[in-house]
Amino acid sequence: MAGITDLGVGIGWRSEIDLTVERLPGVDFVEVVAENLHIGHLPESVTLLLERGIPVLPHAVSLSLGGADPVDLNRVEHLGKIAEAVGAPMVSDHVCFVRAGGLDSGHLMPVPRTKDALDVLVANVRLAQQNLPVPLALENVAALLEWPDGELTEGQFLAELVERTDCWLLVDVANLYANARNIGTDPERFLDEIPLERLAYVHVAGGEQHGDVYHDTHAHAVLPEVLGVLDELCSRVTPPGVLLERDDNYPSDTEIASELAAIRAVVDKRRG
Amino acid sequence: MATPTTTQVPRLSAEEAGYLTAGPGRAAETVLARLIDVGAVRVSRDGHVTAVLQNDYKATTSVEARILSYARTPVQFDTIVQSTANCNEMAALNQYLRDRGLAQLPRRSNPVWGVYLALAFLLVLLSFSVPVVLLGVPIAAAIALWQRGRQAVTATGKAALRQVTATDRVHAVALYGFCGKINGQAVADLFELSQSIVKMLPLKQSRRSRSSSYSGAGSVSSCSSCGSGCGSSSCASSSSCSSSGSSCSSGSSCSSGSSCGGGSSSCGGGGGGS
Repeated sequence: MAGITDLGVGIGWRSEIDLTVERLPGVDFVEVVAENLHIGHLPESVTLLLERGIPVLPHAVSLSLGGADPVDLNRVEHLGKIAEAVGAPMVSDHVCFVRAGGLDSGHLMPVPRTKDALDVLVANVRLAQQNLPVPLALENVAALLEWPDGELTEGQFLAELVERTDCWLLVDVANLYANARNIGTDPERFLDEIPLERLAYVHVAGGEQHGDVYHDTHAHAVLPEVLGVLDELCSRVTPPGVLLERDDNYPSDTEIASELAAIRAVVDKRRG
Repeated sequence: MATPTTTQVPRLSAEEAGYLTAGPGRAAETVLARLIDVGAVRVSRDGHVTAVLQNDYKATTSVEARILSYARTPVQFDTIVQSTANCNEMAALNQYLRDRGLAQLPRRSNPVWGVYLALAFLLVLLSFSVPVVLLGVPIAAAIALWQRGRQAVTATGKAALRQVTATDRVHAVALYGFCGKINGQAVADLFELSQSIVKMLPLKQSRRSRSSSYSGAGSVSSCSSCGSGCGSSSCASSSSCSSSGSSCSSGSSCSSGSSCGGGSSSCGGGGGGS
């Protein structure tokens, strides 16, 4: 991917913590939720970060690329315009669907890992790519269930998706941890199966165990086990970037800084 | 030799000083300032106040607890000030100040008080020729005193307030408000808050210079609260406000001035209103 060889360590920009993000030391890049921004009037904080030379990467949550319906080109166009407005080298969304039959799930729903579902996903991804000005990276989601009759593992599914669309991968190690806890998948096998040379960057986030279910809340501290999955990934490849996602219950600036430092320590350890 | 007697002047917390300076809205600003100061809340560029997730910070007052609870989800800066100014915890603070003799229920001044005073004087003169009219003098004088009204801050409260100086940024908010200035510097700057945020609060007009006994005294335009006129010492010390401060309340939601001292609930906009 031209222009992006080393993003470094970043954080998800959220309006509630805009001043914190601006003040934090060692923020090499940020990610913005594309649906929260409007063309023509970017938040002052985002503009300030751009002026400082901080890369801003739009991350979408509503393309519903895994849905049976054709992708909504208005949403793709908005994502593309945001990318152009912030001069982003790439954009991203998830391998999921968020609406069907005219209803919004309000959640990132996993797609069935069948050949048929992959065909639908590939068609949507290709259509989106044709209408985007920059490359598209796709992220693995946290799932509380697996659809029946799956034909591929998640790693195989994503590997085939990359092969057929030439998309990039955004690996969320917190989601890998959540899936391991909730549905018994194996993060190491996932990392073995995906084409790591197509890794765009990595997401890290916190969560919480509620009863038998681990919730990928993005509102709690990052668990050491999640950093362990990051470490496992870093043992195989040097990720171009690693980004902390925090969406609620924002802790103090000091705590956020220490989470970023912990992430950087894992990356630097493997980098030698 | 007679032992000299000294009057103990109560010490005020920052939020009490804020309340006595400019009413419940200013007290709300002061508490918010303290929470920002200790890192218990953060304010975003667009003026959203959010409680910081901290396991080790415990609210030190009920008003603090109220703000922290309210700001679990982002709340607009002016909304949280107004809401806090009108909350039950603020009414309790008002009651506490009254119980300590620092504040009182204010009475609005009626300009006819001077007429009754003149009548009392006239009756005194008449009594030299018609002694019986002397009976009407105390009645006229009492009516004059009643109509003259009274301020929300007692003499003790004013004395206590005179002890308060802007020794830190929280006290600067108590005395001048987020929209005020201290030594030529905007108080908002002390908190790295933009003017666009603090100007969400309604701007007060015609604020008087504070007494020279206050450090960093200066002419201020403050956007606080239900009222700079609601027991403000700066108002109290100014002649134009001496009859209950109603003239200081222009621009605030607390238009009568007298309603502020009676409890925050009567002070509609609290931190401002529209």
